[in-house]
Amino acid sequence: MAYVATRGGERAIEQSERLFRAELGRIDAARVAQVRQALPYLVDRVMGEASLYDEDLAALAMAQTGGDLYEAVLVLRAWRTTQPRLAVAAPVEQGQLFTHRRISAAFKDIPGGQVLGPTLDYSHRVLATDVLSGGAVDPVPVAPAARAAPAQYPSVSAWQAANDLADLPAPDGVTGEAIPDLTREPLLFPARRAHTLQSLARAETGGVLALGYAAMRGYGQAHPTVNELRLAEAEIVVAHPDGTEFSAGRVKVSQAEVVSKKGDKLTLGFAATLGWNEVKCIAAATLDLNSAGAPKGSATEEEFFLYHTEGVEASGFCIHFKLPHYVTFQSSLDAMRDAAARRSARSPQQEPAE
Amino acid sequence: MTGARDSDTLSTLARAEAARIKEFAETLLAALPGVTVLHSRTGLVMVPMRDTAGGTSFHLGEVLVSEAHVRRDGVEGYGMRRGRDLEAAMAMALVDLALASGVEAARCRAFCDDEAARQAACDRDTLRRVEATRIDMETF
Repeated sequence: MAYVATRGGERAIEQSERLFRAELGRIDAARVAQVRQALPYLVDRVMGEASLYDEDLAALAMAQTGGDLYEAVLVLRAWRTTQPRLAVAAPVEQGQLFTHRRISAAFKDIPGGQVLGPTLDYSHRVLATDVLSGGAVDPVPVAPAARAAPAQYPSVSAWQAANDLADLPAPDGVTGEAIPDLTREPLLFPARRAHTLQSLARAETGGVLALGYAAMRGYGQAHPTVNELRLAEAEIVVAHPDGTEFSAGRVKVSQAEVVSKKGDKLTLGFAATLGWNEVKCIAAATLDLNSAGAPKGSATEEEFFLYHTEGVEASGFCIHFKLPHYVTFQSSLDAMRDAAARRSARSPQQEPAE
Repeated sequence: MTGARDSDTLSTLARAEAARIKEFAETLLAALPGVTVLHSRTGLVMVPMRDTAGGTSFHLGEVLVSEAHVRRDGVEGYGMRRGRDLEAAMAMALVDLALASGVEAARCRAFCDDEAARQAACDRDTLRRVEATRIDMETF
């Protein structure tokens, strides 16, 4: 495929960008604060897909792109490249998460119990149209329990392994710069597991859901059951110049384990992402669960789902088709006209059969 | 250097409310003349996670942090905290430097203890609200 630059239209291009921005109006710190406060789950989704955790930057990206999430993620990923990497934190361990929500659909009595945390899972989905008539929705305060929940819980899969229900490989022990990093290395197939999980962590939510849903509906080898789902905060553990490790703060993370009941033991799929985005994690863990031995070109084949859930590349490729293709298109038209002319030149000599 | 740093104190300083730690660090400046700033910048920290299904360490993504690194009379002070607030990171570095140098140590210790108590109370409140959502499922 060949492209040539086009000339002309500078004024129209400038005015078109003005037209886009005029509709958004003034963008200032107050607008950014409003987006951040009003849309925390969307902020989380954008941070996860951008692979960049900062609520203010994500809210700014959404404000200046008018909520076009592909554009928002793109400007965040571009901005990320202007910043130096100062450190690689210590790996987050599931058992150390400051947990807000922890549920299991596989076992009702998991060690430590289940806490629903913030969720609309059991709510009526009713649009509060009164707000549009001058009313307001004021949240009813939570009635706190007398005692605090534990901040940390053991892993459900570790409990299953201890009860001989699942075989879990030992942790690889890899830390720091030795952990494979997709932002500095190409994605090659068969992919290293660290690349697969990193790619799913930054994948586009809708794409992951579409392919994960395909697997759930039967276009995969294994039906998922949610073993453990968590919304939590993780400490960013870094080192002081004297070597003392400390937490530079917390970030929201979500993680899901799903299990398949085929075979003698449970097999697990796993996914996690920055921010609270449980749909993405369940769908991504389902793809992980189904990827081993998946047929080439199927929704659950690793190469297929990793390439097609990379939102910045996918949206960029999609929208490039609307940019000028005049020369390539004209070339194709010329070829069509040539072929038509050759056909018509041949056809008069052919007498119809009698 | 008056002793080894402890992880909890540094974590408390990194999570301290920005306005409070900046205000406190201001009060230390007169007692810390001749501080050299080695770094005052924003940057990224890559955060890995351990996969519980395969035991693999993988990268979740990067977190924006602010970092400050200072030195005075051969003693270093360091601050790193989440977000884009260079002043708050510098304030952490100055409190760390003061503690390591034995300057205003009692006041610094009191500030850290107060912050640690506030943070613990905040966590306790959060976890009491989480506990209110504990569910005991029954099957029929």
